[in-house]
Amino acid sequence: MGQQIAYRLLLSVPVLLGVLVFGFLLLKLAPGDPAMVVAGPSATPDVVEQIRKEMGLDQPTLVQFWRYISRVAQGDLGRSMINNTSVAEELALAMVATAELMIACLAWAVPAGIAMGTIAAVFQRGLIDRVVMAFSVAGVSMPVFFIGLLLMQYLGYKWQLLPFLGRGGPLWTLEGLRHITLPAMTLGFIFVGPVARMTRASVLDVLKADFIRTARAKGLREKTVIIRHALRNALIPVVTLVGLQAGYLLGGAVVTESIYSWPGVGRLAVGAILASDMPLAQGAILSLAIAFLVINLIVDLLYGLLDPRVQHR
Amino acid sequence: MLAAAAISASLAAAPAIAQSITVVREVDSDRYDPHRSTARAASEVLFMLGDTLVSLDYDMKTIKPSLADSWTVSPDGLTYTFNLRKDVKFCDGKPMKAEDVAFSLKRWINPETKSPVRWRAGKVEDVIAKDDYTVEYKLTAPYSELLYQLTQSFAVVIDKDTLAKLGADFGVKGFNGTGPFCWVEWTPRNEMKIKRHDAYTWGPPIYENRGPAQVQEIVWKIVPEENTRLAALMTGQSQVTQYIPYSGFRTIRSNPNTKLIESKEAFWTYFMGFKIDKSEVNDETLRRAMVMAVDQGAIAKNLYFGEVQPAYSYISQQALDWNPKVEADLIKTNLAEANKLLDEAGFKKGPDGFRQRNGKKIEPTFYGFTGSTWQKLAEAVQGDLRKVGIDLKLQLFDATVVWGKLATQEFDMFGMSYPYISAGDALNLYFRSANVPTPNRMNWKDAKTDQLLDRGMAATTDDVRAAAYGEVLEQVHKAAVWIPLYHEPMKIGYSAKLAPIKAHNIYGCGLYKGLDIKFASK
Repeated sequence: MGQQIAYRLLLSVPVLLGVLVFGFLLLKLAPGDPAMVVAGPSATPDVVEQIRKEMGLDQPTLVQFWRYISRVAQGDLGRSMINNTSVAEELALAMVATAELMIACLAWAVPAGIAMGTIAAVFQRGLIDRVVMAFSVAGVSMPVFFIGLLLMQYLGYKWQLLPFLGRGGPLWTLEGLRHITLPAMTLGFIFVGPVARMTRASVLDVLKADFIRTARAKGLREKTVIIRHALRNALIPVVTLVGLQAGYLLGGAVVTESIYSWPGVGRLAVGAILASDMPLAQGAILSLAIAFLVINLIVDLLYGLLDPRVQHR
Repeated sequence: MLAAAAISASLAAAPAIAQSITVVREVDSDRYDPHRSTARAASEVLFMLGDTLVSLDYDMKTIKPSLADSWTVSPDGLTYTFNLRKDVKFCDGKPMKAEDVAFSLKRWINPETKSPVRWRAGKVEDVIAKDDYTVEYKLTAPYSELLYQLTQSFAVVIDKDTLAKLGADFGVKGFNGTGPFCWVEWTPRNEMKIKRHDAYTWGPPIYENRGPAQVQEIVWKIVPEENTRLAALMTGQSQVTQYIPYSGFRTIRSNPNTKLIESKEAFWTYFMGFKIDKSEVNDETLRRAMVMAVDQGAIAKNLYFGEVQPAYSYISQQALDWNPKVEADLIKTNLAEANKLLDEAGFKKGPDGFRQRNGKKIEPTFYGFTGSTWQKLAEAVQGDLRKVGIDLKLQLFDATVVWGKLATQEFDMFGMSYPYISAGDALNLYFRSANVPTPNRMNWKDAKTDQLLDRGMAATTDDVRAAAYGEVLEQVHKAAVWIPLYHEPMKIGYSAKLAPIKAHNIYGCGLYKGLDIKFASK
């Protein structure tokens, strides 16, 4: 297992290097002048020039890149060009908020998806199956901002059941729980569909297996057959899917965080890019890439745990 | 389960902590350093965190005391002597003295501070603390706008010890001012928390309440989505906002839980400018016809639900030193007259229906901002200009790019909006030759204008100043260098649970010092 982790970590190094290079180049090539943004509309050209110099933007691109890489190699993500705050500190705060959002999303969406998929498989081609699949298709097809606005319109605005303005505190507090519900529901809706569909397909597959017939022949109750035998074996591809989708959730989180003013990494990245705040944008991109790699690593390890055949390969 | 638990908790939860209000707004500032932050978002908070020597009345014309009880101006207009109040304290309890004022104002003008608004302080010789409570502001040339500029957030008095302690983190991790509110915590791009300054008793006389603020805490929350801001106000998650989508005003007015207050003055003007030396638009008659073709009334009605004032003047006609003589020269919408002017000037229509000059189609390039406001505006103007045979080409850029683009000479027309206090404030910024290429993006280089602006700036009497600026207003309106589009009045939506608020217009900061914000008594 240790060897496997080390191997996976080693594979991550070139990926991270690529992220660093492309993140820097993309932001550098993007049109925009942070000095002009900081100086504001009424600033005269000499003031803009002074600010540009102070920000180090007058240096050649290679020099700027070398300085950036050297800093990152020492674990220093730098300071925001706009307000001089520590990028690492800002990211740490934002990561907590994003992690909370993802945990809350997965906490309801994965069990819901698995339950819906299993029920659909058991009642294959029945009304329940059709309803569940229609719901899944809707979840997959509707863009996350639409789901967000829909939930906000009814649960937040019309019925005034839940708040929708940012984070209310840590997840374990009452305010924290109230504030995270709508963003977590929004993000979860795009997740439930694929999990339900995959679970349904996988359970249907397993239900045809010999050991299920044996279990039934032994006289086990149908509930036991489904939950203990079928579902357990059907979960392997579902875990893979959850892992892969969890990575894509980061993309959904960018939109969800913007809609609900959730102070996470996605919103931070969007804000930094719009403000041409390069160190912060680079830091946010890097941390999102690391999060993606970590999620994939966890999935790989979980996969090995769930399916011993993987470890033996 | 999560949702059910949260909903039941919500239903059981008590209303938001009394005496704390949440103000939602669209964007955050880069920092809260009065000398380096030019964004309205910074001024909104800085007016509450700090005080200025003098304050501005709601009419945007009358200067009132603030930190200075009284002041005198020398006959030559070069020396302003301010007599300070003796009861003013910073948030940390330290008494504020003349040396703090002198330090703050000198930091504003110090080139090392790199303040983008240094020019607003005038040509300063020195700022001297004559004694603990007297400040002398000495100029090398008279500056009639000085008192108005000293009401702005750039002139907020700061504590030098806090600045020394925080260094580059000043206005990022902390701030120590004399305002009605004190710094608590700022999470950039998320929220700014400020709490009541309990010792505050020196509010400007424009407020009935000159004592401490009447709410314990204000949370300025960044909510980029305009409909989310509106929904937050309607559901009581926010108590105040001036950042309301135009489509939302009617909803706020008709909802019993919300109210809308509007200031009579509209000192934020949207316009399109011509780069007058570019071959596409260097003909005055052509520009005049283009201005005439634009239907500001329809724009105000159709795009903004009638919530803005159609603009035909470059500044609000309520602004200080507006010249009523210009009113006769204002170019009003008249499509037939615009077509006639162009026909007479020889701009004949080609086979494609667009006018030509020397065989070349007239198709000026417009640079502006992306986003719904400018996109809609630019398209409306484009449509109006097509009616007179002019093919306006639109190029819109996002906020990170647009300022750089607008500093170039690539375009023929541009879109802009700006806040101002007076005619002088607006004209000195946009029409000085020295301010080419930005903010004088029209390339308006005129010796007479510069002379008049100097005269207005150096005036020691109101009449001389008004006359000089009035003449510049006549000059630029006659030359048709802008297409004025609309003046935006200050409108604030607030919860009916609050007592009535009066909207200010200073730098577009509707709540100004926030001393009138309080919950209505039951």
